[in-house]
Amino acid sequence: MAKIVNSYRFLDGIPKQIMKHWATLGERRQIPWSPLAKPMSQCTVSIVSSAGVALKTDEPFDQEIERRDPWSSDPSYRVLPRATVTGDVRVYHLHINTFFSQQDLNCVMPLERLSQLEAQSEVAHSAPSHYSYMGYTLRHDTLLRHTVPDIIGRLRQEQVDVVVLVPV
Amino acid sequence: MGLVQREIEAAGFSTISLSMMPELTKSAGVPRIAAIEHPFGLTLGPPQDAARQLAVLRATLRALEEISQPGTVVHLPFEWDSREKLNLHPPETPPIARFLRQHPWYVPKFLNRTPPEVRDQAAL
Repeated sequence: MAKIVNSYRFLDGIPKQIMKHWATLGERRQIPWSPLAKPMSQCTVSIVSSAGVALKTDEPFDQEIERRDPWSSDPSYRVLPRATVTGDVRVYHLHINTFFSQQDLNCVMPLERLSQLEAQSEVAHSAPSHYSYMGYTLRHDTLLRHTVPDIIGRLRQEQVDVVVLVPV
Repeated sequence: MGLVQREIEAAGFSTISLSMMPELTKSAGVPRIAAIEHPFGLTLGPPQDAARQLAVLRATLRALEEISQPGTVVHLPFEWDSREKLNLHPPETPPIARFLRQHPWYVPKFLNRTPPEVRDQAAL
């Protein structure tokens, strides 16, 4: 029988009840749609991760924002160049155990795996830039009004076709 | 992440979420979802398991190519071995969990995803 993913397998207690409730809240609205215009082997692909990944040489995400106001988190984003490897980054996220992704960035941001697909001509290019922000927030004004439009501008500049969003 | 995906798709890019909670992601009204039954913080798979990570990424891109109806969820066939006991908990209690324990009357606001005005909260 075909696998059906259980959305709540790794949750229990109150968090499980909250996520089940949240899944009922979505408003019915038009789903945006941009059809894939060419085969994947001709596409430039970029990854967007909500794990809060930042280069060690870049400004850290500010986790104090969330400690002061637990309904929010740092709404900024960081650029990760395509050749970024685990040793180059830190992961800032207060809702997951970041131990695994700090051992291997590909657990949450598969940049090396995407380069492999490029080497095997399954995609045309891994984009020059990939992006990360801190996923948890219930105040998403700044994220949607500033961060996402900035990322979109860069995706256009780099002629990206496909974006893979990777929550954690 | 669903709201972010909607914006990027609306800007003209073909997008897919690799989601561990496809029911929740779908409720945001996103165009394409590849559902994966992996633990939080391990979306692509375990550390150093390059073969698994590659297979998951490849399957995600294939799902993106195959989906022709907005809002479709493709359930990826990967199984997670429940004998593998990992500590999935963050090292410190998430601030919202601590806050709600101390201020339980805010639980309904959290359940409805309607945060209080910043100035109301400053009065606490």
